[in-house]
Amino acid sequence: MALRTHEIEVLKKLREIKKATPKKLAKKTNYSKEGVLAASQSLSEKGLVNVSEEIEKKYVIQEEGKKLIKKGFPEQKVLKEVKKGNKNISKLQTKLGKEKVSIGIGWIKRKNLGEIKTGKIELTDKGKEFDIEQTDQYRLLNLLEQKPRKPEEIKNKLKNIEAIKELKNRNNAIDVIENKKRFLEITKKGKNTKLGQKERITELTSKDIRTGRWKKKELIDYDINVSAKKKFPGKKHPYQKLLDEMREIFQNMGFKEIKGNSVESSFWNFDALFQPQDHPAREMQDTFYISEPNKAELPTSELVNKIKNIHEKGGEVESEGWGGAWSEEKAKKVVLRTHTTATTIRYLSENNKPPEKVFSIDRAYRRETIDATHLPQFYQLEGIVLGEEVSFNNLLGYLSTFYEKMGFEEIRFRPGYFPYTEPSVEPEVYVEELGEWVELGGAGIFRKEVTAPFDVEGKVLAWGLGIGRLAMLKLGLNDLRELFQSDIDWLRRFPSCQL
Amino acid sequence: MPVVKLNKKRLENLVDENIDTILENIPMLGADIEREKREEVDIEFFPNRPDLFSAEGIARAMRGFLDKETGLSNYHINDSNTTLKVKDSVKSVRPNISAAVIRDLSLSEEDINSLVNLQEHLHWGLGRDRKKVSIGLHDLKKIEQPFTYKAVDPTRIEFKPLGHEQKMNLNEILNKHKKGQKFGDIIKDKKKYPIIQDKNKEILSFPPIINGVLTEVDTDTNEIFIDVTGTDKKAVNEALNIIATSLAEIGGEIHSVKRDNKKEKTPNLEPRVKKLDNQEVKELTGLDISERETIDCLRRMRYGAKSSEEGVYVEIPAYRSDILHKWDLIEDVAIGYGYDNIEPQIPNVQGIGNTHPIEKLGDKAREIMTGLGYREVMTLTLTNREKEYDKVNRKVNDSVSIKNPISEEHTIFRATLLPSLLPILEINQHRDLPQKIFEFGEVEHLTKKFAKDCYHLSGVSLHADAGFTEVKSIIEAIFCEFGIDYGLKNSDDKLFLEGRRGEIIFEKEKIGVFGEISPDVLKRFDLEHPCVGFEIEIEKLIR
Repeated sequence: MALRTHEIEVLKKLREIKKATPKKLAKKTNYSKEGVLAASQSLSEKGLVNVSEEIEKKYVIQEEGKKLIKKGFPEQKVLKEVKKGNKNISKLQTKLGKEKVSIGIGWIKRKNLGEIKTGKIELTDKGKEFDIEQTDQYRLLNLLEQKPRKPEEIKNKLKNIEAIKELKNRNNAIDVIENKKRFLEITKKGKNTKLGQKERITELTSKDIRTGRWKKKELIDYDINVSAKKKFPGKKHPYQKLLDEMREIFQNMGFKEIKGNSVESSFWNFDALFQPQDHPAREMQDTFYISEPNKAELPTSELVNKIKNIHEKGGEVESEGWGGAWSEEKAKKVVLRTHTTATTIRYLSENNKPPEKVFSIDRAYRRETIDATHLPQFYQLEGIVLGEEVSFNNLLGYLSTFYEKMGFEEIRFRPGYFPYTEPSVEPEVYVEELGEWVELGGAGIFRKEVTAPFDVEGKVLAWGLGIGRLAMLKLGLNDLRELFQSDIDWLRRFPSCQL
Repeated sequence: MPVVKLNKKRLENLVDENIDTILENIPMLGADIEREKREEVDIEFFPNRPDLFSAEGIARAMRGFLDKETGLSNYHINDSNTTLKVKDSVKSVRPNISAAVIRDLSLSEEDINSLVNLQEHLHWGLGRDRKKVSIGLHDLKKIEQPFTYKAVDPTRIEFKPLGHEQKMNLNEILNKHKKGQKFGDIIKDKKKYPIIQDKNKEILSFPPIINGVLTEVDTDTNEIFIDVTGTDKKAVNEALNIIATSLAEIGGEIHSVKRDNKKEKTPNLEPRVKKLDNQEVKELTGLDISERETIDCLRRMRYGAKSSEEGVYVEIPAYRSDILHKWDLIEDVAIGYGYDNIEPQIPNVQGIGNTHPIEKLGDKAREIMTGLGYREVMTLTLTNREKEYDKVNRKVNDSVSIKNPISEEHTIFRATLLPSLLPILEINQHRDLPQKIFEFGEVEHLTKKFAKDCYHLSGVSLHADAGFTEVKSIIEAIFCEFGIDYGLKNSDDKLFLEGRRGEIIFEKEKIGVFGEISPDVLKRFDLEHPCVGFEIEIEKLIR
């Protein structure tokens, strides 16, 4: 067993004196009391020393006791007067005070020093010889006035211990206090353990290892409980980890990832998705329009005409269209994409044959005032399945699976509305902590008016899920802004394996 | 989206069902309960269903959904002797008008509130803030037919608008009246403004701005003249149909209004007809549903539906102009069936999962940076010129700019990442050093014709011993991990200190900068320790 130097010194000293308080050991070893305590702690863990606590009683003098010493005992005063011949109680009362006389007489009777006869005090023989300084009460009070004393100390000096009780009864002239005291005592193991003679070292050097001389040294044990300096590993942002988790879920379901541009034309962001040109979402108060670049190029005039036709008259898919006149100028307006569905429809325009399964996770922008639950930008999880024979219940199937994999157990589907899907649905999950259903985005089957201009074959299941709300739930945040204005301390402390 | 305020008691009476059952079923009909109070409940409906913007309309739908009354609601239209003259002068101003008369009404305060709310929701939802459609309701007793819709010189006509005691001319209304100031923009550029007047030239309305005091509707009103004006005929008629049928739901009798010069009469509540093939219902919904069930579901959603030789014969109520295509009907079959009764099922569609090359690049960058002890941060992509350029000693450059920013903080799309990292250090001054953070993310570059997302990697390190050699080793480590050779050149980027800054050259092009950040810049972020940083257009490494 390797002991540290101060542990050895304490142990050696205890071998001599068997048992001592830390204070005493500190004095004898020249260590501080704290040093001795630390050493005794580790010695006791090694079973070399026994640390015990004992309760120490001490008697101390109280206010009343000090008064008795200073002003004298009442019985002594009364006796003195009686010895002088003043035996009449009422006269004594006038002279010494009623209270003093009555206390004095009480003790005189109790100690058998005198008797009361027709209002007078007659002393006994004992009373005649009485000297207060010879009493235990007097002696004890004087001892305690010097310093508090342990019971053993007192008992030797008194005839009997009756005086302790008596003084306590005298209006608490003395009292007892109790102190806890720690003692260190050597154990059998402590007596017999060999204290090595080797050099004790804390750190190994490469020379120690190379030369093998570490064997000749004694390596000092570390206290494994002492806290070490904090380390903060470099790590990913918790939100990024969450996005990666979602990415993985879709990859595992066989989806290919696609990406688009943050800056989009209204054509791809709205018109290609059959969003009417006078739709409120297209107004300046909901969408960020871009002044530089201020105009987007439209695709081929063939495609533009198909879109125009669909909007105005419903094209050739037995739709009625929105009516009104569709404007190319409006379609050229540049926006920050309001949803990643712009990415999807661009992809579909070039990949219109089933099967296709693609997804994207990217930022979308809405003109929202910043507060705890709104930001002008948010991540959207977009996905589509293009299949020959897919249907609405399949869409619900993909959504259920995704939310189940994200750890939500209760999922429900409500009717929804989006200009580009039919049927449309809003998935909701039940969040135990909130006690309510939380809406997490929208989904549906792309309308014929959306797919026909691109000659898409089959049906397209589509969803665009906002992830901000989900992130707040998963990361335990109350304020969406914290995701993008990171408190470094939060990043340091957020367990990277929690997600 | 429109939030409809509903009095619970009134709704219970209209549906003939207790409120708990109604509220339990509302979400499955396609709405969201916003908040519930003791006597009222606020429900958000979708903008495509303006027929649900009133208690009467909701009750009509709910009675069907709860199987209390299914199929088409039949509204009888009586002929009235009311005539509406439309002058050519409105053609270039606000061309469309439709009108109806409702008789035999007995309106409570609650009824009137509901009517006014419906009118406001329609102004918003169908009317695009009165631009496309605006509605006027008038106490018919106070006026005399025939009515005339025409456009007039704004200064020649005067009347008392609602909310004012004095007569005002049309210009004064636009300038001084609250509603004039709010909606005036819709017609301001016209030379003449539209009005509706009666036989005696009393002014009923100055659409789309305000009605006259004369025809204000109150609880004594039992006959109403409805005018709907606008720029889109279809929307105008739909609004009229919704208002007229809502009033019929509370006991009103609908009477038509005829146009003087045409045979046309309004309202026209004839249902539109579409044929539905049950096979298509099955294919779109994935439900194994019989034609009989399809018909039941449609009737539950208040369509007329019956079997015919060409499939299911569907009559679409005149207030449902959101139905553009067969699939809209099929959605309603699914809603009638109950979304909660549909079994989710994953189909067998083949696909091979993969990650986009940019995200793979991001993964690599994150692995390298976290390995080097950097913590990832994410910042907002919108910023302003001051933060992007001035504050970091860079010259203002062309950037993707927002036309309608919501605050001065967010007027451009960031073109670089590093200026977004310094504010993170700024808000973390009280945290322990060293602070090493990085971001991988998109910035926006203007191209010759448009703009393009580019992915950058940037990092900063702040601590008492931060210096040029530290950031140089980071750059070397990154490129070593990518296994890519690069060149270096002295830089003149004033974000960094002169003599302690470099440019990274890859394939003869500058793709990055690094160095010790200038104390001038640090001071602007209240940073008092040395700081080094770098930024790489990392996407260019995988071209």
